[in-house]
Amino acid sequence: MEFSYIFWWVIAWMIFWALVGSFVTRRIYLHRDLDTSNATFVGSMLGAATGPFGLAPLWMKSPDLTNRFVVFPALGAVTLIAAAFAFADPSNNCVANGSFVASQIVNGLIIGIIYGFMALGLSLIFSILGVVSFAHGEFYMVGGMITYFATVVWFPGLNPALGILIACAMTFALGAAFERMFLTPMYEGKIERPVEYGILVTFGLAFTVQYFVQAVAGANPVKTQRYIDFPRLRWPSAEDPWLVKSSRGNMELFDTVSISNPRFTAAVMCILVLCALLYFLHRTWTGKALRAVSQDREAAAIAGINPDRMNMLAFALGGMIAALAGAMLVQAFSWLPQVGNIPAMRSFVIVVLGGLGSLPGAFLGGIIVGLVEAAGTGCIPDAQKAASYIPAYGMIVLTLTLLLRPTGLFGRRFASGTHGKF
Amino acid sequence: MKNWRISIVSLAATAALSAISLSGTAAVAAECPIKLGGLAPLSAPGTVVGGEAMRDAMLIAEKDINEAGGVLGCDVKVVIADTEGLPEKASAVMEKLITQDNVVAVGGGYHSSVGVASKDVADARGVPVVFAETWNDTITGDKQKYIFRIAPLSSWASATIWQAALLVPNIKKAAILTENTDYGIPAAEETTKGLKANGVEAVTFSVDIGTQDYAGIVERIKAENPDYIIVLATGEAGYNFTQQAADAGIGPMDIPFQAGQVSLESKAYWENVPDGNMAFVQRIGVPENLFNEMGKKFTAQYKAKTGKGAVESYAMEAYDSIAILAQAINEAKSTDGDAIVTALENISFEGTLGRIYFPYGLKKDPGADGKGDEWWHQWPDPALTMIQYQKEGQNSGDSPIVWPDAYKTGPAIYVKK
Repeated sequence: MEFSYIFWWVIAWMIFWALVGSFVTRRIYLHRDLDTSNATFVGSMLGAATGPFGLAPLWMKSPDLTNRFVVFPALGAVTLIAAAFAFADPSNNCVANGSFVASQIVNGLIIGIIYGFMALGLSLIFSILGVVSFAHGEFYMVGGMITYFATVVWFPGLNPALGILIACAMTFALGAAFERMFLTPMYEGKIERPVEYGILVTFGLAFTVQYFVQAVAGANPVKTQRYIDFPRLRWPSAEDPWLVKSSRGNMELFDTVSISNPRFTAAVMCILVLCALLYFLHRTWTGKALRAVSQDREAAAIAGINPDRMNMLAFALGGMIAALAGAMLVQAFSWLPQVGNIPAMRSFVIVVLGGLGSLPGAFLGGIIVGLVEAAGTGCIPDAQKAASYIPAYGMIVLTLTLLLRPTGLFGRRFASGTHGKF
Repeated sequence: MKNWRISIVSLAATAALSAISLSGTAAVAAECPIKLGGLAPLSAPGTVVGGEAMRDAMLIAEKDINEAGGVLGCDVKVVIADTEGLPEKASAVMEKLITQDNVVAVGGGYHSSVGVASKDVADARGVPVVFAETWNDTITGDKQKYIFRIAPLSSWASATIWQAALLVPNIKKAAILTENTDYGIPAAEETTKGLKANGVEAVTFSVDIGTQDYAGIVERIKAENPDYIIVLATGEAGYNFTQQAADAGIGPMDIPFQAGQVSLESKAYWENVPDGNMAFVQRIGVPENLFNEMGKKFTAQYKAKTGKGAVESYAMEAYDSIAILAQAINEAKSTDGDAIVTALENISFEGTLGRIYFPYGLKKDPGADGKGDEWWHQWPDPALTMIQYQKEGQNSGDSPIVWPDAYKTGPAIYVKK
């Protein structure tokens, strides 16, 4: 970094005013008997973005802290960090190389969509059952494994779509069976500490599945072939394909952004299934029943919905969503019995960021985590450290979320917490 | 009456002696089979393909030793221990091998971090270890009495990497992707040093051992516009990076590219890196046509057992690490750690990789010949070569050796950027 002092002075300034803003704003809102739910977050973000210039009017007028007070200061803080970085390191690729920035953003968006999709399953389970499934990564792993075995080992040459369908069906059944066998005691009041029970029993499932798969399938890295090949495109002309240039495994847009085939197909599939899922949740009776149970189990039961059945459906569906992500990525990342560990860790970060139990939050959280990781990997000046810190980027997001907005972006303050009980 | 008493005493004494004698027999029997530990990564984030190859090789060694009459009149049993490629796990399994499984010596070992972490445990307990595939210089550089190695030194292996890199036409800049472990970091530093000394710029990117998604790093490497890419990552990380680089247009078919050593596992390599043709891969040991009788015999057994088309160098090292311990115990006529160390220091073992011996140790310090401490209990002769896959689906054993000239079986093909 050429002028690192600029960057660190700005960061120090932002941290100072963020701390002042968070403490003082909350106290002022408390003192005036106003809603403090967003006070810490807004105070810290406004302080970081504008310093005393934004905080003073806030403290004087103490307006209702609506969503725009949440969004704009946060964007301002991010912009200020980016500007300080640009001044401090003008020759950095993230500042001087437009095509590099575009590629990193696209990569971040694509992997973020896939992470977000996976986290959606975790969020769905939590919103209905109030259980954080620690076996989520194993469903991802099993999805990839079944797809590989179905298309390469059991029925070589099988259409990948069928392989993915088999994986989805089997993981759905696994999730439903597990929920019936091990989670039902939570609903019947047989368990004194349902939260701890939920954690332990899903942990147990995770270990059992991982080691069982390792014993049965081995631990050699395997991978399926690309599900589809890109057609060979040269637009607008074969001589100067500045708009789109594609080969079987890669697509280049505007001569700058390079997108690999497996990631692209995985992201497109995730978006399509997300749309289908949203349709299911908002337009079908079963989907509406699921949402009703997530909002108020007792009221849902009075309306004739069987919450127990919804519990089973939610756990099976959540596991199947993770499995689908695994099935789509087994063409991009080598499969191992431990392959689900990293995506599972990211899913936990994403659901906390998006808000426990919030489906839109999970998806948006995934995209944010994807972009943060892309920015960190691409922009940290020390090449040797940039990639080593990948696991840390998510943890920084998690820590900041817990500090500033424990309910996450769209989280309900008392999200579920009923653990399947009435 | 007196005779009666004498008879009773005699009877009791005889019974006691018989009991002692029987218990003595039982003690001897309990020492059979003689147990040897075998370290291998059999779970992620370790290099499972490498671990399974080493496990198979060590079990072939066990079979061969027993068919040849065993050791000290006993059969040998190789107790395989999964290190997962993790240092903390390595220390734990070494402790378990010694205290619970009662092994008298240990062979195998793939990851340097495993060697670095577990050697202190073995040395403190006086159990000899012959590391098979752990390269970090400090493993022997700490000059510990019970620690031996038949793998090459990291600094030495790195020299072959940068020397081979210098042959790339018009090379000005190299990008190194390394895992941030006891193997990767020193190897990257040594390689960078060698390249810089010869006027080639090097940029290093380090990653955690289990990293899956390399999209961001691939873009950074692309932005550096390197003339050569060197991968110093073990396990599936090496596969993931190579294929993702290929997807982004900087793979082995796009620019000269040295893939990780795990790429010697041809079947797994082609399954995980379908666009990996033209990759260079570092290999230990002479080409198959120069194998000695031991090497040929082992190769035939290994191919029959695993169904593979070629034998990997780390499998040969693993075999030798067990077989040399068996010979040392026979020569020591004891399973005592100190006696085994003395035997190893004086050994001349004809292994699959050639004649293995340890010129430096307690009897002669490496400093006496002006050598660094890392040459302590270090086999000085492993051959280091560079092969290149030149056909899709090719076996690593059939791929031409393109460097050094002494072993060269074909010319290198340098793809144009």
